[in-house]
Amino acid sequence: MISQFFVLSLRGDNIVFRDYRGDVPKGSAEIFFRKVKFWKEDEEEEAPPVFNVDGVNYFHVKVAGLLFVATTRVNSSPSLVLELLQRIARVIKDYLGVLNEDSLRKNFVLVYELLDEVIDFGYAQTTSTELLKSYVFNEPIVVDAARLPPLGPAGMFMQGTKRMPATAVTKSVVANEPGGRRREEIFVDIIEKISVTFSSSGYILTSEIDGTIQMKSYLSGNPEIRLALNEELNIGRGGRSIYDYSSSAGAGAVILDDCNFHESVHLDSFDVDRTLSLVPPDGEFPVMNYRMTQEFKPPFIITAVIEEAGAFKAEVILKVRADFSSNITANTVAIQMPLPKYTTRVSFEQEPGAVGQTTDFKEANKKLEWNLRKA
Amino acid sequence: MSGHDSKYFSTTKKGEIPELKDELNSQYKDKKRDAVKKVIAAMTVGKDVSSLFTDVVNCMQTENLELKKLVYLYLINYAKSQPDLAILAVNTFVKDSQDPNPLIRALAVRTMGCIRVDKITEYLCDPLQRCLKDDDPYVRKTAAICVAKLYDINAELVEDRGFLDTLKDLISDNNPMVVANAVAALAEIQENSARPIFEITSQTLSKLLTALNECTEWGQVFILDALSRYKAADAREAENIVERVTPRLQHANCAVVLSAVKMILQQMELITSTDVVRNLCKKMAPPLVTLLSAEPEIQYVALRNINLIVQRRPTILAHEIKVFFCKYNDPIYVKMEKLEIMIKLASDRNIDQVLLEFKEYATEVDVDFVRKAVRAIGRCAIKLERAAERCISVLLELIKIKVNYVVQEAIIVIKDIFRRYPNTYESIIATLCESLDTLDEPEAKASMIWIIGEYAERIDNADELLESFLESFPEEPAMVQLQLLTATVKLFLKKPTEGPQQMIQVVLNNATVETDNPDLRDRAYIYWRLLSTDPEAAKDVVLAEKPVISDDSNQLDPSLLDELLANIATLSSVYHKPPEAFVTRVKTTVQRSEDEEYADVGETGYSDSTGRAIDSSGTTTTSSVTAATKQPAPAPTPPAPAAAVPDLLGDLIGLDNAIVPVDEPTTATGPPLPVLLPASTGQGLQISAQLTRRDGQIFYDMSFENNAQIPLDGFMIQFNKNAFGLAAGGPLQVPQLQPGTSARVLLPMVLFQNISPGPPNSLLQVAVKNNQQPVWYFSDKISLLVLFTEDGRMERTNFLETWKSLPDSNEVVKDLPNVVVNSVEATLDRLAASNMFFIAKRRHANQEVLYLSAKIPRGIPVLIELTAVIGIAGVKCAIKTPNAEMAPLFFESVEALLRG
Repeated sequence: MISQFFVLSLRGDNIVFRDYRGDVPKGSAEIFFRKVKFWKEDEEEEAPPVFNVDGVNYFHVKVAGLLFVATTRVNSSPSLVLELLQRIARVIKDYLGVLNEDSLRKNFVLVYELLDEVIDFGYAQTTSTELLKSYVFNEPIVVDAARLPPLGPAGMFMQGTKRMPATAVTKSVVANEPGGRRREEIFVDIIEKISVTFSSSGYILTSEIDGTIQMKSYLSGNPEIRLALNEELNIGRGGRSIYDYSSSAGAGAVILDDCNFHESVHLDSFDVDRTLSLVPPDGEFPVMNYRMTQEFKPPFIITAVIEEAGAFKAEVILKVRADFSSNITANTVAIQMPLPKYTTRVSFEQEPGAVGQTTDFKEANKKLEWNLRKA
Repeated sequence: MSGHDSKYFSTTKKGEIPELKDELNSQYKDKKRDAVKKVIAAMTVGKDVSSLFTDVVNCMQTENLELKKLVYLYLINYAKSQPDLAILAVNTFVKDSQDPNPLIRALAVRTMGCIRVDKITEYLCDPLQRCLKDDDPYVRKTAAICVAKLYDINAELVEDRGFLDTLKDLISDNNPMVVANAVAALAEIQENSARPIFEITSQTLSKLLTALNECTEWGQVFILDALSRYKAADAREAENIVERVTPRLQHANCAVVLSAVKMILQQMELITSTDVVRNLCKKMAPPLVTLLSAEPEIQYVALRNINLIVQRRPTILAHEIKVFFCKYNDPIYVKMEKLEIMIKLASDRNIDQVLLEFKEYATEVDVDFVRKAVRAIGRCAIKLERAAERCISVLLELIKIKVNYVVQEAIIVIKDIFRRYPNTYESIIATLCESLDTLDEPEAKASMIWIIGEYAERIDNADELLESFLESFPEEPAMVQLQLLTATVKLFLKKPTEGPQQMIQVVLNNATVETDNPDLRDRAYIYWRLLSTDPEAAKDVVLAEKPVISDDSNQLDPSLLDELLANIATLSSVYHKPPEAFVTRVKTTVQRSEDEEYADVGETGYSDSTGRAIDSSGTTTTSSVTAATKQPAPAPTPPAPAAAVPDLLGDLIGLDNAIVPVDEPTTATGPPLPVLLPASTGQGLQISAQLTRRDGQIFYDMSFENNAQIPLDGFMIQFNKNAFGLAAGGPLQVPQLQPGTSARVLLPMVLFQNISPGPPNSLLQVAVKNNQQPVWYFSDKISLLVLFTEDGRMERTNFLETWKSLPDSNEVVKDLPNVVVNSVEATLDRLAASNMFFIAKRRHANQEVLYLSAKIPRGIPVLIELTAVIGIAGVKCAIKTPNAEMAPLFFESVEALLRG
């Protein structure tokens, strides 16, 4: 249960503010922002997502460069509130097509209308874009997405979030096409966040994949959709040993450590033939989240050789090798390397003939960046 | 739709308000709608558009839902400041609540519940009654929440009109959304009520478990949280419940998963079969790990919860330590929590892997993280005896990197390792000494000095090393000075040669004559005396064997852990504090500040006619009576805060009324007394009593009321042994009591008669008898306040000296979270009335710090320090007294006093 919900820009401007219970003073947004901006407690420099100031509990998440904040006085469930904040952001994005300060300001009436349906007296009611459509009447004013800075996949890694701020499409699920005709289409994205740790000698120490199958449907009439997954998909490592799998299922088997599904997914035939059937609701939603630590071949191998080239100078040779077939290309590859604090200057030397590559030294956080448009 | 909403934010040169007024009254619908949008826009950026109230409300009667919603939004915002005008909207609300369109019905009920104006609340009841039984589930689910809203405004009304029963009926509704909201509303009402309202029986349990499967994700959380209060009857029922909750672990919503985990953990306590428990642990591990691939904010919450879970059931995640390895782009708050859990999960089996990780972290760029990683290595060494050697070798490797803060941190933890494994790893001291010059942090310096002193006999040049520190003795921080003092004494006792002898002279001189620090001075004098009287005894004392330490940092007290585990998936489990430590309900204060904001509006409204002012204060009174009984209202402050006159009046009256028990006839002899023996227990005899202090004498103020059929006489009283030896100072003189009459007497009391042994407590057991009835026993509480003597006032200097003369261990601090200080003067007056005397005050940031003194019999002084922010709940109370055992009693009394 929450008392207030508000959205702040990273400068602290109040973009949306809704009070549901009147038991938290009005200045809470300002108190919150000052606290977050000048956080310095327990020697940590970044405010945790949940904290308490003078009896008021503040929750916040960062989405698309905006702070989504909720307050409460009681002992509510923080996972509920944080999840709710993420969902509100997603619902608003579904409606507005793009989520940013500009689009929020232009559509404030619609946003308030949405907020009234999503939360009543501080209790989450529904965050399904599909359901909300029957209660919400304002139409979105679509902000031109072309003017927005592209949020590449690199942005996703920077924030450490799984869901990309903008996947394939940046159009509203409710707004009509300029021609008045809706196009029947559905987007399915598979987003995998792969974490691999190599030892200095090149061995893989840990490897993990966090994946999401994300869907965004624009189909009219809400037909049922079937999604077939790899038949040799196994869930859970426990019980049988790994050898059982390899002997019976061959090399193609995929073993997921754990997975979960969206509530619209029916799993009736999942155990039999690994198909999911669902009636996709409108808006963007994750069909399935999964996690695996089974061994796999990482798509890239990076090697770094560091040599001392003088008393105050070091030379680093960074090599990246794409380990997949040549008919696939990877776009916008970004490589970062943290450098020692006392680094003052960095110069780069690229391989001759390199095209579409940029290099940069970020003075503020002492990081080296190497961006490749294609690999 | 025309154009962008943002154009509504632009201002016109001409007066904005009159122009909007014109547009609002326009006959064109589009223009009207645009005007309302402009008004809302102005409202959201904080402009005052309340003067347009009538014009906006006039737009309310429309079929256009979009426009209606806008008007309602406006109403919610301004109705409180314009209660008389808000009445105008009531008719439309009532009409809308019967509209054929369910959306409009629901909207009307939802909005009315958000308007916190008493007069409107009365009109809300009938529509709400209807909507709770509406055919449309959307209307019912909105109405269910509305009951909670109404309860918040006027609890009595809800109970009188039978809404609670209707709400309970909704638990059996066929629509899961309605069920979920009914559960949420009932849970909230229960939270704010002392009476049992929402009790979960085994029938409700099974109904709710069925609804669980069909609910929206949010509804599932409401239901799971409500059910977590249910105590299963036996292991079989617990297993049953768990079986039906387990599928929730697969949910994509983290909140559902955590609430399900909470429920399962709770039921597991009852399950006896180890197989079932083991199996459940196995089932819970993957979902918990999956939480760590969510957004970092959720990860943080999950990690804080996991931290608690592994303290109770380490097996759940024993094999999953790898998932807690930090990723380099994790936010710092996630990394810190992961480290904590890694230490908890570290075992002989995985320690090599863990150490490899820690070592890696210790070379990262973030200084705070690096420090914590180094400490983590030390804590593992202390925790795992067999791994200690490996941990130390990693620390030594890190020291060799010669990064200053790594070295310092390593030395701090090595000191702890030495204390854990004495006489085992001294061979590394030589390596440590190499880094001596680079130490500049007090804690690291102090640790190094401790090591030198402790092992002085094995370090050849210990005296030289210590001497190098001595030069800067006066400039060192207290922590380093204390260690230097002790280390030098140890050195001297171990090597009583000329060098150390000279050193000890210098140190003792420095630590006694030259210093202002009382701790240092005291310690120095003790050593001095010890050394000068009996050096052998000094050896026994100073070089005595020390108790072996263990790694208990961040380990929670078992009873606290129990409470926190019961609160998994709530804020409490994130803060690792019990709920009452941070949940404060200070609604009334907040409302007052709001009232002040609208003061100008409110006053003009009321000044129209005095008749109305009285009338409205009457209505506020009734509502604040319920507020006062429901929750402790903040103390009324005699110097009235500006404005909001009717409200203040209401509060004062409300408070007086609240203290009076309903059917207690107030006698002329003083304020009513708390009933200790109700007539129902005493066969018609009711006894009320309270200890009071009048003119330096303690009395037991008693009132007897005879509701029995016969006259009662021959009253006698006896007190059991109690902490202060309170006993009757004379016979109890009660005249014969005729049926239906009452008598009130003051019984003088004396102290120190029958003192009960053990630590002091407030219990006072009383026995009263008469000639007609059996002996009645009841117990009362001794408020420390009546013991404070009139001569408790202290001089400032005397106060300071007494404060300094008492050891720190006699200082006891407690937070009183539910106490609000609204005015310093009023608080001081109130404290002075109970013989707590004001000494001095100072301001510290926005806090007021008050110093007071009091004295309890036998001349024992109590020194008091109160720290509070005016108007905000929460007072920090510190006391210092030779009799520190008294502290809990003191806090109890002061809290009662300050809460009024």
